[in-house]
Amino acid sequence: MFRNYLSAALRNLERNSLYAGVTIFGLAVGFAAALLIALYVRGELTYDRFIPGHDRVYVYSERIEYPGERPVLTDSSSVRVGPALKAEFPQIQYAARLTGKDLPATVKRGDFTASESNLTWADPDFFRVMPLPVVAGDLASALDEPDGLVITRAIARKYFGRDAPIGQSLLINGAPMKVTAVIQDLPPTTHLIFDMYGSTRAPQSPMPGLEKRDTPQNLVVITYVRLQPGASAAGVDMGGFVRRHFSPEQLGEASSRTRITAYLVPLTQIHLRPDIQGAYTGTDPAVLAGVGAVGVLIVLVAAINFVTLMTARATRRAVEVGVRKAAGATRRDLIAQFMGEALIHVAMAGLIAAALAELVLPGFNILVGRKIVIDYGDPILFAALPALVLAVGLAAGAYPALVLSNFRPAIVLKGGLAPSGGSALVRQMLVVVQFAVLIGLILFATTITRQTLFAINQGMRLDKNQVLLVLAKPCTDDLRDAMAAVGGVEKAACASAQALNLSVIGTKATVAGRDVGVYTGPVDYDFFGVYNIAPLAGRLFDHNRPADGYAAGAPSNPPLVINETARHKLGFANDQAAIGKTVTWPFHTDLDSAFGKDPAKPSQIIGVVPDFTFGSMREPILPMLFMVGPKVSYYSLALNLRLDRNHIPRALAGIDQVWRRFEPGDPIQRFFVTEFALHAYIDTLREAGLIVAAALVALFIAALGLFALSAYTTERRTKEIGVRKAMGAGTSAVLRLLIWQFSQPVLWANLLAWPVAFLVMNWWLHGFAYHVDQAPWVFVAAGAAALIVAWATVFIHALRVARAKPVGALRYE
Amino acid sequence: MLKLEKVSKTYRTTEVETRALSEVSMEIAPGEFVAIMGPSGCGKSTLLNVLGLLDSPTSGAYGFFGEDVARLPEARLTALRRDRIGFVFQSFNLIDDLSVAENVEVGLLYRGGPGGQRRKRVEEALQRVGMAHRARHKPQQLSGGQQQRVAVARALVSRPSLILADEPTGNLDTANGEAVMALLRDACAAGVTVVMVTHSLVHAAEAQRTIKLLDGRVVSETLLAA
Repeated sequence: MFRNYLSAALRNLERNSLYAGVTIFGLAVGFAAALLIALYVRGELTYDRFIPGHDRVYVYSERIEYPGERPVLTDSSSVRVGPALKAEFPQIQYAARLTGKDLPATVKRGDFTASESNLTWADPDFFRVMPLPVVAGDLASALDEPDGLVITRAIARKYFGRDAPIGQSLLINGAPMKVTAVIQDLPPTTHLIFDMYGSTRAPQSPMPGLEKRDTPQNLVVITYVRLQPGASAAGVDMGGFVRRHFSPEQLGEASSRTRITAYLVPLTQIHLRPDIQGAYTGTDPAVLAGVGAVGVLIVLVAAINFVTLMTARATRRAVEVGVRKAAGATRRDLIAQFMGEALIHVAMAGLIAAALAELVLPGFNILVGRKIVIDYGDPILFAALPALVLAVGLAAGAYPALVLSNFRPAIVLKGGLAPSGGSALVRQMLVVVQFAVLIGLILFATTITRQTLFAINQGMRLDKNQVLLVLAKPCTDDLRDAMAAVGGVEKAACASAQALNLSVIGTKATVAGRDVGVYTGPVDYDFFGVYNIAPLAGRLFDHNRPADGYAAGAPSNPPLVINETARHKLGFANDQAAIGKTVTWPFHTDLDSAFGKDPAKPSQIIGVVPDFTFGSMREPILPMLFMVGPKVSYYSLALNLRLDRNHIPRALAGIDQVWRRFEPGDPIQRFFVTEFALHAYIDTLREAGLIVAAALVALFIAALGLFALSAYTTERRTKEIGVRKAMGAGTSAVLRLLIWQFSQPVLWANLLAWPVAFLVMNWWLHGFAYHVDQAPWVFVAAGAAALIVAWATVFIHALRVARAKPVGALRYE
Repeated sequence: MLKLEKVSKTYRTTEVETRALSEVSMEIAPGEFVAIMGPSGCGKSTLLNVLGLLDSPTSGAYGFFGEDVARLPEARLTALRRDRIGFVFQSFNLIDDLSVAENVEVGLLYRGGPGGQRRKRVEEALQRVGMAHRARHKPQQLSGGQQQRVAVARALVSRPSLILADEPTGNLDTANGEAVMALLRDACAAGVTVVMVTHSLVHAAEAQRTIKLLDGRVVSETLLAA
């Protein structure tokens, strides 16, 4: 019996190769997309699980609530937290700190010099907390010596050409370090992005300096702990931890109003907290859920194709059903037969999908910025794909099987009334759902693209094109002036990390007896000029006014240019009202002392500039006070150069030449601000890319389905059209009739898709402090796009049928 | 024996009620060859569907070889069709996707039993209708007459007690029509009851009895060969 079914199934497939091909290929494309999305989502959910004993590893985090502001979550901590945790809680076996990603370091071995951006400094116990897979050396004790250095295999090969250069030296920023262990190159699913770990006991490590400047507000390291075997994080009582280890003076006057809650976050959750500020930016679980939902929607669209085409074609199988029933087939026999057929189709789609997924995997990896592999030895994958095939096969096969098996043999065998395959209404509704999904995805894709473009282009609110950043520690007046003299460089100015939103220094400012929390950003005279920022009121800093500059030990702080947010927060009614007013604030210039020790001095506000940011659109723009700062590395990190767009190559060559004159040993670190902006939006760009790609896949599948469905239905209406033409209908009238038939579901789909998409996009956009508004034209355009796709796919069939001679149509049986 | 007592069949739509059969009573003896005639729309096909258990009467009683089948559940009707009835249709109704042999096999498929035995019976049936040499062909590769011979083989292969033929020669030329009639006569001679709907007086004359229908009623019965 099975053989008979199989013959029928395979030959039916062969005879209806267009429909079958469309059904199977559409499903395969859907499966492939779903497979890749599933692998991506799974990868995101399983970060850091390869680290042995990961369930006992936690990262210290704080939730800081300033009155009247939205709470800040951070995984950065004060340097004293690690030792304090270890001392206070017996449940903690090891605690270790990481200084986070440092500025790129110059690494030298013999004549070979390169710049390494993934260098960090780690406490000796770090690898006891994180026993990473090791290639050579004793990892646990590798950082005990002050010159201990742990590198990845890739770095070992790069500098030494072999895997285990234990005991060999590397010059890091000019100081020798000894390779004590080599770890394996870590899989892409880890938040540990570093490939060089120096001991925090090294003299050149930033840790000693950080320890000297320690305050509770100075969140500069990441603190990890490993619990004792059998201990649980719930047993580590973090309540009051901050108050136990920092005195009220250290916490500052604001402490009574600021709530700091400390807690431990499991290692495996670090990647899934996008709202956290600090060392590491993860993936938003909500977005991940959205991406997963898109995967499900794509499979749904493909499965709907399957159902509509199977039932639409059902008429052709009517005779077979009648004969089999007359021969004594029960309904169950026929359901089994048609379900089996559906499973064969779906299984073929599954095989094609695996091949398709392999084919597009490299491109997909570029799109999502991951290194996903399809591991056929993976038992979950091995079970999941067949399970998906079975589930979709059963779900999508059920309706056609029920419809087909329900044909009345007495009717179908007479060859009279050809039964329509199932309810036309059901089929119509399925097409509506399919197009609603499609329109929804087009809407998401458009909105995400608009927001991303907004964030990269207008969102920063500054003219960053042709502006080059050169990292210099510090950016001095001499360097700046030498660079300004290079041909093709139009303007030059130094700036602090704070002005570039790379770090923050918060401080208390007093205006008219009122305390306000603000942030400081030391800049150079022409900083605003480089970015073409014009004042809204007052003026900018001026070289020719000595009083605008910084003078050590002066009775007052340098004058201020403030942004709109600061103007608002400081309580000035309008931009002009702020000009000439006095703000008292402490300028932290004694870098050897802790924050909070500097005396508050008055400054005059000389200008107000529009809000702008180099940071993420997800964060609100901070209230900024800009001033000309001292040219020390702490406040003068980068040189900002506006280049002449017509002479960029010449300017770059000149800049490199000047750099070599100033810093003969160090390679230049330069990049355009646009790249920098792109980097800040890489996660949003990936989300956008994924959703756009998914929308295209859904579009393709839906078009494929509609193409086949229209071929079928126009064929089915051949006789009707023949009659209409015989009665005098012209080609265009028939064409309109057929096109209208396929336009209706698309129009209904809009009604379904618009409100849902509006709500979802609203939610997504509100994750951004600055975002585009939802525009009605986007909705209309998405609907129109779906309609055009529908027309384009049905037009060919419709035209063919509409132009046919009626006599042929009428003879058709 | 087939026995209909005051069998009526009514089709209802929301607006119209159509009475296809109206209190039809008849008896058909085992091994009898009966022809049913009448103009289009007189209820011939409905009668055949009721006799073939493809449709249930709205009212009346139907004794099918001693069993009252008028109110039986679908599952039991399916079993009776499978075990006792063979069908031959005017439009052949062969499954395009299956070969000739596979089409004939469908007649046995739902009875279970070993595949080897099934294939043997398929071969016998095809030999009986002279189509064994075309066993691997597809229906579209055959002439109408050949297709109908395959359809007869399909009806015979299950060794039914009853063959119901709905205008089996309606789409065939004279020679092919005669060949199919010969097959039906042979089956009848072997003890199978044959009920055939036909428009052809010539072919009706080959039956032992002709029942004429008009507007869903039996209007005359002619005993020919007795």
